[in-house]
Amino acid sequence: ADYEFKFQSSDPAGNPNFELQKTWAADVAEKSEGRIAIDLLPVESIVAHNETQDAIATGILDGHITDLSYFAGKDPAFGLMGNPVGAWSDPQQMLDFVDNGGGAELLNEIENPYGLQFIGATTPGLEAFVSAKPLEGVADLQGLKMRAPEGLVQSVFAAAGASPVNLPGSEVFTSLDKKVIDAADYSVFSTNQAQGLNDVAQHPVYPGFHSLPLVEISMNKTKWDDLPEDLQAVLTQSVKDFAQRQIAALAEADEKAVAEAKEGGEITVHDWSADERAKFRTIAQGEWEKVAAQSPNAQKVYDTLTAYLTEKGLVSQ
Amino acid sequence: MTDEEEVVREEHTAIPEAGAFGRLVDRVAILPAMGIVAAMAILIQEVVLRYVFAAPTIWAHETTVFLCAIAFIFGGLLCASRDRHIRVVLVYDYLPAGLRRVFDIVISAVCALSSAAFAWAAWLMVQRAAWRPDGSFHLETSGSAWNPAYPGLLKILLMVALGLLAIQFLILAINYAKGRR
Amino acid sequence: MEFFGSLQSMGIEAGTGLLFALLLLLLVTGIPLAFVTLLVTLIFALGWFGPNVVPLITSRVYSFVSSFVFVSVPMFVLMAAILDRSGIARDLFEAMRLIGGRIRGGVAVQTIFVAVVLAAMSGIIGGEVVLLGLIALPQMLRQGYDRRLAIGVVCAGGSLGTMVPPSIVLIIYGLTANVSIGELFTAAFVPGFMLALLYVGYILARAYLTPGAVPDPVREPVPAAEKLRLLKGLFLPILVVIMVLGSIYGGIASVTEASAVGVAGVMLSTILRGEFSWSLLRGAAMQTLQTVGMIVWIGIGASALVGVFNLMGGIKFVSELITGISDTPIIIILFMMAILFVLGMFLDWVGIALLTMPIFVPIVIDLGYDPVWFGVLFAMNMQVSFLSPPFGPAAFYLKSVTPPDISLGEIFRSLLPFIMLQILAVAMLILFPGIAMY
Ligand code: NA
Ligand code: NA
Repeated sequence: ADYEFKFQSSDPAGNPNFELQKTWAADVAEKSEGRIAIDLLPVESIVAHNETQDAIATGILDGHITDLSYFAGKDPAFGLMGNPVGAWSDPQQMLDFVDNGGGAELLNEIENPYGLQFIGATTPGLEAFVSAKPLEGVADLQGLKMRAPEGLVQSVFAAAGASPVNLPGSEVFTSLDKKVIDAADYSVFSTNQAQGLNDVAQHPVYPGFHSLPLVEISMNKTKWDDLPEDLQAVLTQSVKDFAQRQIAALAEADEKAVAEAKEGGEITVHDWSADERAKFRTIAQGEWEKVAAQSPNAQKVYDTLTAYLTEKGLVSQ
Repeated sequence: MTDEEEVVREEHTAIPEAGAFGRLVDRVAILPAMGIVAAMAILIQEVVLRYVFAAPTIWAHETTVFLCAIAFIFGGLLCASRDRHIRVVLVYDYLPAGLRRVFDIVISAVCALSSAAFAWAAWLMVQRAAWRPDGSFHLETSGSAWNPAYPGLLKILLMVALGLLAIQFLILAINYAKGRR
Repeated sequence: MEFFGSLQSMGIEAGTGLLFALLLLLLVTGIPLAFVTLLVTLIFALGWFGPNVVPLITSRVYSFVSSFVFVSVPMFVLMAAILDRSGIARDLFEAMRLIGGRIRGGVAVQTIFVAVVLAAMSGIIGGEVVLLGLIALPQMLRQGYDRRLAIGVVCAGGSLGTMVPPSIVLIIYGLTANVSIGELFTAAFVPGFMLALLYVGYILARAYLTPGAVPDPVREPVPAAEKLRLLKGLFLPILVVIMVLGSIYGGIASVTEASAVGVAGVMLSTILRGEFSWSLLRGAAMQTLQTVGMIVWIGIGASALVGVFNLMGGIKFVSELITGISDTPIIIILFMMAILFVLGMFLDWVGIALLTMPIFVPIVIDLGYDPVWFGVLFAMNMQVSFLSPPFGPAAFYLKSVTPPDISLGEIFRSLLPFIMLQILAVAMLILFPGIAMY
């Protein structure tokens, strides 16, 4: 191959996301007729999940496939862009915002100075909420002891009356199992189901209402600029195709897992009404503003995002 | 009915070759050491606040991890000053005293050199954790709702500790070379 | 600088060989262990790539020390250091002698029992080995146990933390393999217990078959008043255990928080016994800092090495090595065991897990094996890695708290029978998967 790139994923090797991401690497090889070879590595294989941005900028890694909100500590803008809690109820809305609503341009404006080039976005889909207590709406969140690791998710749930506990992923299962916490922000339904979370917390909310992470595929800017335009186009298109493939595959996996869970009879899947979802979104929007105030870039994200949502009639303002 | 002989416990201090620097490390180490006790108290407080009062804090776990991380980093420095890092002495133990001294000098010098290389690399890391691309000062934060600057601080502390480690090993190498005991 | 990047031309096979040769060579020269792995990592970062890759090492060091899973290690060590400075441990073992002293080897068997209880309180190793090394080892030696037997009991028993649920090895495995952590814990329960029983069996065999291995049983009758006094020694430790296990299984605290509950319980005990003082706390805290410095820095190097090795193309190399070895699934599994065994001689478990899990898990699933079973098998292999020389973390942890007259060489010699028992347990898990998958 003319170009050999090492990309690190934020997913572990045995995770279905990682398997899907491998198809992206294969697709890039095919579309570029072998001129680009991508060596996809699982999470933590080179650096930790929240250190890839630095590693790409310094040329240790060439690129990553990762949840943008892992870099909220660098700039709150990444947190707001990576997971504007409550903004999206469908993955296609988020992708449309990135492709046609100014999202991609804004991301490059923010990331280029960090030495990264944003190629495109994907998502595992709308996450399901893990809960041991039956939840039918925002009122039930009152006093709920729940795990929420990331900034915006944490503040939104706090604003909704829950008591967020900042636990690492490795303690979620045992803590749910022993009822140290009642609920958790974790992953999509099929992953929660596979890792046994729904077995110890039997009232999942699906489809979820709280989180649709933007997973970005980006790479070292200098190496991107060195690529001929046709190969840049190949990469951009491959990410677009991949996003559709991943969303379809995981939606299917989710539906299958939900059907299995319902069949098992032990797990009760809850679905919130449109009203309750709207209530939660309103609370979330109040928190976006607070994040926006934290940095000029975050303000830009907020402005672009609300402009898009207003134009599409997704918020009433 | 039981024999009253006490189990012997060694209290360690910095070895003479570590010099005044080592003694200083030994003395200052009480701060990160008490940090571990503080981490314990914070965790207990968190359990009580959450279980009894249903009011978990947003800062307890991050602070605990931060305090423990400092203890881990400076514990490594303390072990260097006290010569308490584990060494596999399979070959070393069979060396004659003179050659053993050469080994001590070379080992300390090599450790000093690599620690210095790591301190330099940590500086590169700190540059990205303490400044934004536009040159404005911004310590990397955790990204949580509380959003403390622990990551940035910890990266700086790691760089400092690696630098101190390099100095400590250099002093050890010099004192081994002088043959001071 | 012609050295920078020059190693790359040798290829990954020779590179891997050189890496391990260098590790072994530097290991025996007496360089502090933490710096052996760090130095090899540095040499390869510079030699394979160049100076721009060195920040990868510090990035991994940063991530390693700031990871939540290690928080319980200083807690257990602090618990040990306080216990060591109080009379609690001595009273506990006197009481244990009263209870189990009538059978040969009774106190050692009870130590394994204590180790299993500790393992149920923690998900990681390090702290428990230190705890037993400070508390059980001197008491067993004082009561006349054979040194090697006592050392083996402490290291092997203290390593059970990642075999008996909860276990951070199984949690990391579950996240990697996307399988239920609950199922992993359930599956590990019997194998963990079986391993402990193998240790008990060995102790009893030594007690009855090899004269002098254990002290003579207590024969003289103990007056009732004395009995009561000794049994009081059990009261506070049992209370602490109830506090810790109660807080985990009662849904009060997470596993890591529970380790802090343990420290608080032990502190409270010393206050109740009138032994608590500022200088006790100060001494215990300083000892904890030194011990965790030693423990954590051993793991730091291994984690950094894995990062550089993976960047060199290690993942691809190892997975091609494995899939190329045979078409027979069981041969591949056995080859994986061999790799784990060899890596266990050079690396800390964190390094081994980071390196091999991402490679092994997809292959094992492809071969049609149950990933839950393999997770338990993996955890059992890690038990071997804790003890196996020349890089045996449990031996190092013990060495850090024992008097200088117990050498590392003696510790490793003491561990050999226990390693054999662990390998036996690995073999049984392969031959009879039903042990885990009941
Ligand atoms: Na355990
Ligand atoms: Na080993």
